[in-house]
Amino acid sequence: MASVIYHPEYRRYDFGEDHPFTPARLACLTDLLASLGYPISAVEPPVATREEILTVHDEAYVAAVEALDRGESAAGAMEHGLGTPDNPIFPGMDLAARWLVGGTLHGARLIAGGADTRVLQLGGGLHHAARAKAAGFCLYNDLAVAIQEFVSRGWYVAYLDIDLHHGDGVQSLFYESDHVLTLSLHESGYYLYPGTGHIHELGSGSGRGMKINIPLEPFTEGDDYLEAFDAVVPQALSWFSPRVIVVQAGADGHFADPMGDLALTTRTYHALYTRIFDLAARHTEGRVLFTLGGGYAPAVVPRVWALLYLTLMDLPVPERLPGDWMARWAQALGPGAIATLHDPDPSYPAFAGGEERRRRNRNTVSRLLDSVSRYWY
Amino acid sequence: MLVREIMKTPVTTISPETTFLEACRLIQEKGIRHLPVVEDGVLAGVITDRDVRFATSALCPSPQQGSDAVRCAMRGSVLTADPSDPIEEAARVMRSHKIGCLPVVEERTVVGIITNMDLLDALLKLAGVYDSTGRLEVSLDDVPGELARLTSFFGHRNVNIRSILTYPNGKGRIRTVLRVDTNQTLPLAEALREAQFTVLWPMPKPWLR
Repeated sequence: MASVIYHPEYRRYDFGEDHPFTPARLACLTDLLASLGYPISAVEPPVATREEILTVHDEAYVAAVEALDRGESAAGAMEHGLGTPDNPIFPGMDLAARWLVGGTLHGARLIAGGADTRVLQLGGGLHHAARAKAAGFCLYNDLAVAIQEFVSRGWYVAYLDIDLHHGDGVQSLFYESDHVLTLSLHESGYYLYPGTGHIHELGSGSGRGMKINIPLEPFTEGDDYLEAFDAVVPQALSWFSPRVIVVQAGADGHFADPMGDLALTTRTYHALYTRIFDLAARHTEGRVLFTLGGGYAPAVVPRVWALLYLTLMDLPVPERLPGDWMARWAQALGPGAIATLHDPDPSYPAFAGGEERRRRNRNTVSRLLDSVSRYWY
Repeated sequence: MLVREIMKTPVTTISPETTFLEACRLIQEKGIRHLPVVEDGVLAGVITDRDVRFATSALCPSPQQGSDAVRCAMRGSVLTADPSDPIEEAARVMRSHKIGCLPVVEERTVVGIITNMDLLDALLKLAGVYDSTGRLEVSLDDVPGELARLTSFFGHRNVNIRSILTYPNGKGRIRTVLRVDTNQTLPLAEALREAQFTVLWPMPKPWLR
């Protein structure tokens, strides 16, 4: 059975005007689904408690968030990554972030309790948040709290991160855990934030060989992305035998995203979602928990995540976008917004350097497999 | 950055009478390559893993036994560093003499050692790769005030610069590599271009050109 988790309170996670991580993305998406004739009927989760946040975060950090939230000046705000252009302080931020964590955690509990197999949390995906530090728009790590919930029940969890950026927060929180396999595909950290996610980051202690990174060249296109995915992800899951897959489904790897340089299209995402559900059917009896994540092009994000929803629900994928929806969101979508759910094919003019990028990406994958496979089997 | 900040202490030292066998054991057990040799509390030489292997090898014209003293194979007149030397001075000495370590000496006593590995660690630290950051490369005119213009650009936006490296890049240009504490490097690059900076990376998307 498939469920969608959403709560109107998610919209409070708002860093203010001009900040790219805006809740308008969600409103635009839910409106699109309704206009397509599939209004979401969502499960409303409870808000996460302070204790639940503390399963992965330091008390001192949570206390600093709460103090800044109340308008007190907390010592070491900068040290905790708060009050930066990425993570501005806003009133109510502690509660807003706990709503997002509550949703992802509730999804984990639905799956762990056997009530559901496929769950889509329409929010969250705050994969950069570290044990004692906010980073890259992420205050509390909802993914890690949900993963910890599974782990506390003895479950083996595969975490798959298809956001543009490396899932550094989740990786570091479980770096030594042998119950959590992390797989992150992202644009190489040579240039892009957060600068980590190299192939030599393999985990430590009993978690060695269970942290896997596939850093891809800037401007990598969909076919090459899927080739790298196919070369690594299925065999990693096969080896690890997880009981559930947790997916951070950021949509910022799209070619039109203003934050990065991957060149994926809606077709790449559609193919990825299909692959992930197939892998879940093969390895976890279908159990998979999706969250949203990054994604900053207003004309792209609702289309990509609508595809995720339609794939999750086994619904047909319409070709045209509803005219009324396009009219309502015309300002956000910008001039010349395309009227189809999928990008046109081809989606952009061909550009040079494809052979060299392919060579480098294949080399990355082969070096990764050389170094990680010695820890497998 | 000073030598005292990156040097390793305490130092494993031996005496000229230490045997090759013992020197070899220390090198293996501690995973090190360089042993300063101290006699009467004063630095007398250095012996490296290569010196030990060659002196005891069949390829050596007069091979030594494991039980022989290292005195015959050690290198005297050792180049050293002072704890207060800047690390670039230590790097220059090591590079120009093509040597892998400098014992750090204060008042004739060995107080530390730096090797080429410590200099690599320093390079990583200088490059700011240990923080969650994005990377920007900007080409500046090699004239006073340009770097100030660049850093105030970030200051006005409350963006924290975690590391900054500059090096000459052809005629009259300085290449500046910054690691900044933000996820938003692409929008920053666009804003820099609007402010008439030459941004080398991130590049504009090739399919939009």
